[in-house]
Amino acid sequence: MSKTSSLTDRKRNERTAAYIFTVPAMFLLFAFLVVPILYTVYYSLFQYQIVRPDNITFIGLKNYLKLFTDENFWLALRNTVYFTVLVVPFQCVLALALAMLVSSRFRGVAIFRTMYFSPQLTSMVVISILWTVLYNSNPNTGLINSFLTSLGLEPINFLTNSKTAMNSIIFMSGWQGAGYQMMIFLAGLQGIPRDQYEAASVDGANKVQQFLYITLPGLKGTIKYVVMITMIQAMKLFTQPYVMTQGGPKNSTRTLVYYIYTQGFQQGNFGYACAVAAVFFVIVVIMSLSMKKLIAETN
Amino acid sequence: MNMKKVLSALLVSAMAMSLTACGGSGGSDSAADASSSAASADGTTTITIWSPTDKEAVEAWWTEKLAEWNEAHPEIQVSREAIDRSDSYAYENKITTAVTSSDLPDIFYVDGPTISYYAANGIIVPMDDYFPQDELSDFVDSTVAQCTYDGKLYAISATESSVALYYNKDYLTECGVDVADIESRTLDNPLTWSELEEIAKKCTTDNYVGTHIIMDHGEGLPYALEPMFISNGKDFVSADGSEAEGYINSKECVETAEYLANLIANGYANIDPIQDEFLNGACATMLGGSWDVSILEASADFDWGVTYYPVSDTTKAAVSPCGDWSAAISKDCKNVDAAGQFLQWLINSENVATYAAAIAKPATRNSSYENAAMAEYADGPRALFVEQLQNTAVPRPRTPSYSVLSTKYAEAMTNIFSEAASSHTVDAAYIQSELDAVAAAFKEDYDMYYAN
Repeated sequence: MSKTSSLTDRKRNERTAAYIFTVPAMFLLFAFLVVPILYTVYYSLFQYQIVRPDNITFIGLKNYLKLFTDENFWLALRNTVYFTVLVVPFQCVLALALAMLVSSRFRGVAIFRTMYFSPQLTSMVVISILWTVLYNSNPNTGLINSFLTSLGLEPINFLTNSKTAMNSIIFMSGWQGAGYQMMIFLAGLQGIPRDQYEAASVDGANKVQQFLYITLPGLKGTIKYVVMITMIQAMKLFTQPYVMTQGGPKNSTRTLVYYIYTQGFQQGNFGYACAVAAVFFVIVVIMSLSMKKLIAETN
Repeated sequence: MNMKKVLSALLVSAMAMSLTACGGSGGSDSAADASSSAASADGTTTITIWSPTDKEAVEAWWTEKLAEWNEAHPEIQVSREAIDRSDSYAYENKITTAVTSSDLPDIFYVDGPTISYYAANGIIVPMDDYFPQDELSDFVDSTVAQCTYDGKLYAISATESSVALYYNKDYLTECGVDVADIESRTLDNPLTWSELEEIAKKCTTDNYVGTHIIMDHGEGLPYALEPMFISNGKDFVSADGSEAEGYINSKECVETAEYLANLIANGYANIDPIQDEFLNGACATMLGGSWDVSILEASADFDWGVTYYPVSDTTKAAVSPCGDWSAAISKDCKNVDAAGQFLQWLINSENVATYAAAIAKPATRNSSYENAAMAEYADGPRALFVEQLQNTAVPRPRTPSYSVLSTKYAEAMTNIFSEAASSHTVDAAYIQSELDAVAAAFKEDYDMYYAN
């Protein structure tokens, strides 16, 4: 009897300790996430020129009403969704392929792992500038176009043509981001017991069958996590269009976060920018939850 | 089970929060260390200045001048913080965030056309008392005009800038262009648009484009190209800065945009020119800034010249770009008198001359050109820029809605150029629709914040 009570005591103590340990994190979350988000919602109800904090007018839901008829908002939303829908599968499949390539043990594999991961270690701004040069439409400057013309092909206006700009950004973003997901997949792959593969090959399963019936099911949890995290990251695309295309050409790379920035900072419509940010937040939460549900159902 | 569901839902939204929120928080790292002027117990006033980071010679000038002032004026101690200007709008964003958090320094540098925006919103205060009319008569008209809003002087500048047409003499000769003719031009008969196009056409080959019209895809577009529009008969906005409808989207402005887009569509100019395209011998001519003179003198391995900013064929009206960073006193300055006195000294004729020499830009004060530091402005390409400044310079629109006008115009022109580059044709209806959108955005902003 006394033994069990001391056990529950310990449990209680542990629980209290656990709560205390979360306090710093909770405080930071509260100060830097919850409070700003509440402020965002609050300011979204005002007409607020950013350099006139002394002169703001309450306008209720007008900013939200404006948003529904603002074609630039819808365009930005469409661009963001387009980017996300294409980049998530591209980046995840690429990451999985890379992970499988480097999961086997051979001499020098660490070098390849480092190489594939290295774009992650570089600032996105630097990478964007680098790719702006690679993508330059002039074959004398742009390496890719220089390669294309040496094959006798026409140079492509990667970033200055509205039809190719977003796809060019998708490709470089996938290339940059895949290294991180590769590492997560790699950890997942190494968690799959070897003997399952051995047993399968004894039963006569070929490589494709092994991939479909052992690797994929074994990675289920990892895939869920990777897809979700990639999707949320993709939704907040900003750096690449900001550095490489300034939202152009013809607004084809203007994303929601970029739109929030231009509205709030460049044009000073702070209240309106807050409204867009609030709606954006809701969209991301809904997408994440439905994605989670979708994955849960397929299991 | 249910609890677990709720918890995981919470976790997902927290994750979404953290990821979405960190996208937007970049702007708030403004200067916590910026202290507004405060009179301490012993009666000393401290003044803080923000200005963009610049090359070594300019930074050295600041260090020397501030030391000189601080030694002579123990009661007014001035310090400066150099702010990085990593892209077209980064510095402005920093000022904006400082306004919202009341962290403005006493004095800050403002790019010419932004003066009206800050003045209309009460971010900067008038300084007429420190620069009376007889003092201002020593400054070129363009800078006084740019620094004045609603009849009051809100900023003061030591330097000006200008844009003209650089040309590669060696290469033009090779292409059979009459270089002597270009050299003989004066401000009364500059090259016309069609002459420029003719030259560009002759000089465009696989390795060269004929000309260069895009400085960057931000403020560089209105800065370098607005005079083309004015030369063709219509400015971006009305003279009082309240109306864009019928100006930026007028027939004349569409025509000007068509001319520029045509240069891109025909491949005479690049839409995304490389860095230093002219210096690297990749374009035959370029609309370049007055600051390019010293760069070319130092590094160009070919013979080059500068001629006046080209004029519209229909009006032949000579107009040229201008505008530069100017010092303004912020609304948060506690001791405006001390700041004003300091600026009076900082922008005196001699300091203007040495500053202009250090930053390699034309001085704003006519008397500064008599200073030995400005000797190289007596003739050659530099003299041409000064001549333009004194005779044909027109500041960018003075309107409180400038930031909307500028960003929307830059966006529209980039779209127009992209369309021209990918289709190799110029679509007047598309240009009209893009410029209409600029006029509409301007009207929306002006009506919302400044009308009545």
